Amino acid sequence: MLKVTLRGLLAHKVRLIATGVAVILGVAFMAGTQVLTSSISASFDKIFSDVYSSIDVVVRSSNEVETPFGSQRDRISDTVLPTVQAVSGVDAAEGQVFGQIRVLGRDNKPLVSGNGPPNFLLNWLTSPSLNGWTIVDGTTPTGPDQVVLDAKSAKDGPFAVGDTVSILVTKGVQQFRVVGVAKFGKLDTWGGAQAALFDTLTAQQLVGQPGTFDWISVSGDSGVSQTTLTERVAAVTPAGTEAITGAEFTSENQDAFQKIIGIFNTFLLVFALIALFVGSFIIYNTFSIIVAQRTKELALLRALGASRRQVLSSVLLEAFAVGLVASFVGVGLGVLLAMGLNALMKSIGFSGPDTPIIIPASAVISSVVVGTLITLASAILPARRAASIAPIAAMRDVAVESTGASRRRVIIGAAMLLGGAVSLWFGLYGNSDSALQLVGFGAFLVFMGFTVIGPVIAAPMARALGWPMARFGGVSSRIARENAMRNPKRTATTASALMIGVGLVGFISVTAQSLKVSLVEAIDTSVTAEYVITTDSFGATALPLTLTDQITALPEVKVAAAVGAGFATIDGKAKVVLGTDPAALQQVVAITDVSGSFADLSDSGIAIPKTMASDKHLSVGDTLAVSFLQGGPSQLTIESIYDTRFPIQGPGYFINAQLFAQVTPPDQQTAQSIYVGLNDTSDAGIAEARQPLEQLVSSVPGAKLQSIKEFTKAQTDQANQFLVIVYVLLALALIIAIIGVINTLLLSVYERTRELGLLRAVGMSRRQVRASIRAESVIISLIGTIIGLGIGLVFGWALVQALYDQGITSFAVPWAQLIIIVLIAALAGVGAALYPARRAARLDVLRAISSE
Amino acid sequence: MLPPQQIPQHPKGQALPVPSSLFPNRLFAVTAIENPPSSPSIADAAARTVDACKVYGAGDTLVNALDHVTVEFERGRFTAIMGPSGSGKSTLMHCVAGLDTLTSGQIFIGDVDLSSLNERQLTRLRRDTIGFVFQSFNLVPTLTAAENITLPMDLAGTSPDAAWVDTIVSTVNLGDRLKHRPSELSGGQQQRVAVARALASKPSIVFADEPTGNLDSRSGGEILKFMRTAVDEFAQSIVMVTHDPVAASYADRVVFLADGRVVDEILNPTAEAVLERQLRFGV
Repeated sequence: MLKVTLRGLLAHKVRLIATGVAVILGVAFMAGTQVLTSSISASFDKIFSDVYSSIDVVVRSSNEVETPFGSQRDRISDTVLPTVQAVSGVDAAEGQVFGQIRVLGRDNKPLVSGNGPPNFLLNWLTSPSLNGWTIVDGTTPTGPDQVVLDAKSAKDGPFAVGDTVSILVTKGVQQFRVVGVAKFGKLDTWGGAQAALFDTLTAQQLVGQPGTFDWISVSGDSGVSQTTLTERVAAVTPAGTEAITGAEFTSENQDAFQKIIGIFNTFLLVFALIALFVGSFIIYNTFSIIVAQRTKELALLRALGASRRQVLSSVLLEAFAVGLVASFVGVGLGVLLAMGLNALMKSIGFSGPDTPIIIPASAVISSVVVGTLITLASAILPARRAASIAPIAAMRDVAVESTGASRRRVIIGAAMLLGGAVSLWFGLYGNSDSALQLVGFGAFLVFMGFTVIGPVIAAPMARALGWPMARFGGVSSRIARENAMRNPKRTATTASALMIGVGLVGFISVTAQSLKVSLVEAIDTSVTAEYVITTDSFGATALPLTLTDQITALPEVKVAAAVGAGFATIDGKAKVVLGTDPAALQQVVAITDVSGSFADLSDSGIAIPKTMASDKHLSVGDTLAVSFLQGGPSQLTIESIYDTRFPIQGPGYFINAQLFAQVTPPDQQTAQSIYVGLNDTSDAGIAEARQPLEQLVSSVPGAKLQSIKEFTKAQTDQANQFLVIVYVLLALALIIAIIGVINTLLLSVYERTRELGLLRAVGMSRRQVRASIRAESVIISLIGTIIGLGIGLVFGWALVQALYDQGITSFAVPWAQLIIIVLIAALAGVGAALYPARRAARLDVLRAISSE
Repeated sequence: MLPPQQIPQHPKGQALPVPSSLFPNRLFAVTAIENPPSSPSIADAAARTVDACKVYGAGDTLVNALDHVTVEFERGRFTAIMGPSGSGKSTLMHCVAGLDTLTSGQIFIGDVDLSSLNERQLTRLRRDTIGFVFQSFNLVPTLTAAENITLPMDLAGTSPDAAWVDTIVSTVNLGDRLKHRPSELSGGQQQRVAVARALASKPSIVFADEPTGNLDSRSGGEILKFMRTAVDEFAQSIVMVTHDPVAASYADRVVFLADGRVVDEILNPTAEAVLERQLRFGV
């Protein structure tokens, strides 16, 4: 039986190509993602362990606030340092100052873009055992106007020793003299991050907290273990501080980075799985068709005494072999893909660390296992069908594939659709913690439900879609329509693969369109400012608070309201807290008082949005337990419950600017955006105000002045950018689906050799043969596209309804985009038919009609 | 003997329900029936070959499928081609029908030299002037019987002559099966549809390749009678390849092939005479 399987494999190798390609592409995506993310995270792991290799103990504040970007800690007083230095076994201990800055190039633009790697401020450490930096040119920094740049920044600038460099710090742009250029070990800089090194006093002043360190790094005498030394240090450090080993400190940093790259990895893997899911339809279809075509051969085997089990395992073995080989090829391709992407990221200026490609065994194993299992699982139904072929079929004429329009099919399909809808509903509207999984599972069920029902609706759909073609396109189109209808199962499965990809595209575009429309409406109705100033940075290098004062001082400006963002733990959860001048903000953004007074927010009060108040049953006068990095009050009174449509996801917690300044570290006392209201709001007045505003704004690197119209557009452009990324990632699933269409057509052409020969003999021209195959392909593609778009519309609508409270208040359908998708699908159908149509047209008429 | 003909007879000489201009060989055919020529002349040929050679392979494996064959198929007559397997009878028919090409020599359908036609022109010729009946798989399974019958005209984008199609359909006795798909028809019915299709486009010549090979003798007999009727009543030219002496006896003339050459022919054959010739040529 093994011999039969292997012979079968060889005999059908051409027909298995599509299966192979579907598996290879999906597995390549999966393996490539894992290889790339593992390589990146390995190289970052190495950076962290290199950077912190000399540190045996770290002393730091125990006051920690979680943020979406990792945890943040308070700084500690430099008075702790002598205590630590006095501990026996300590070789050297030094305070580390760590902050965020932006080094400006000679064009006064930041050397590193807002989306690029971080640009750090560091103090120059004097003990050689703790300082990994070595001066390669010039001297160490001493004095308030001196800076040492990393070799990469110096090269990018370019800056040489003696040059003046502008650096954006929290308080604005300052000039420094480059006194030295340093390398980290042998490297120009730390991974992709760039650094500017100052003497300790200057560094402390620049972050706005003299007399403090971010942490104290300790190196021990040889012979003293990290743990022992840590215990000794911990014994003497004051309350509010903690000591951990260097190893722990390193792995904490590594873990934080792993978490970020992990999210990226998961995001990409989702798309890899979608591609594999789509691929499984192609595999299923190929095996179904092969089994149908080999009915006689398999029946003969059965007649000769092969058991059902043997037939079943023969088909499954074939699937296993194809899956395994294709998965390995896929892994190989994935590694190449990762290498290519790595090189591409470098060449487009994503200046990450040098990332040697590593191929983790887990990536290979998981990709091969998933690829092989999906192939096997997709072949199970066809294999069972093969095993159920009766020996008598060997004597009968070619078995006709069942139409598939059974009552059972309708019932099962309907049940799956219902289950999917319920799961979606709970995911979207329930308060489940696993909402995302429920939505994903619901979507999966809906797609599968349509796949099961597909054969029932494929024929009527093909009839309807083919009607105009058959009506106006002549006999070849009529034959195409009949061909699309003659095997509804095959048509449906082929179309289903496309349905999934298109469904997701439709869903995303409907959701994005609704988001954009809601956003525009929110800005239109709620933002009364004439200008908005934004930045591509955040935290220490966002907009300096002085900019707000300068803008307010302009005669054209009536009011300028800055909104800053800080972090706090509120009711035990990490939250973003916004600081602003409430009265000023209310003049430029429509914030209405539901209860209490937003404008009168005091130093001990907090404002929350209406939806949050009703969700958590909070009212004015209630208190919230809070914890900020810089101490401050431990509880705040709700003084205002407000309502606004902007920003659409709900701005959240507001505190007034005085409290904000008190509870956030000085280097976070910046603004993320400034809303500017003018005295003269006529078009001329708005135009006139631009010049003086621009002058101020241009002094802040990374800041951007936008009229309200430009601001609106920039916001929707952001949504579009995300949309493009998702489309690109979904493209693979669509490509695999198109390969499925090609495959089905090829197998059908092969099956219809005699019929095509007959048609050619009685006078069908090659052109007509091609037209017929093309029309069939277009019909199949349109079936998948239209069902897919229908599903996408409904999914989009459901999500938009569920997100009403999040500010997506309008459901909008991008009709033009959807029509373009349908046209692209029709074109893709034509494209998919190119090769099969050529094969069909090239058919040797004589061979076709004389072959039995 | 065979059962009497069951199809409605058309009185001899009755005008066909079509203008003669649409059926160019009719006028001639009627004449041909009234004055049957004793020997075919070139002007009477619906199709003919001149020194036709077809060679397969090369060197040791060289096969002369057709070896300088010169033969004519007269208009309005029913010609059978017979010969043992490998005699070249199918090759001859395929070449004359424009499905295959010669190695050397010429083939004419009417006045048209097939070797002067390219692929597209050959296809058009097959569609417009030739009718086909194959041994099996004659019909497009997705089309109804009626659609199969009008297929060549549909492919040409011309509208079929409804009255003529009605005549054909009633001749082959298919009236109530027209809406059915091939899978719902018996083998005999399928072949009748195939014959109807071959006749429906009023081709100048019909080629039939073992049209009764897959049928029982009763159904086969019906098919042969329809073809005979088409020749007698509608002056259709038919060329049929067969190895069955009974089938050949329906023809006006039997051409015998062996080793790629025409070796003999019989006019107005009977089954016995054909069988006797076959035995003589060592089949």
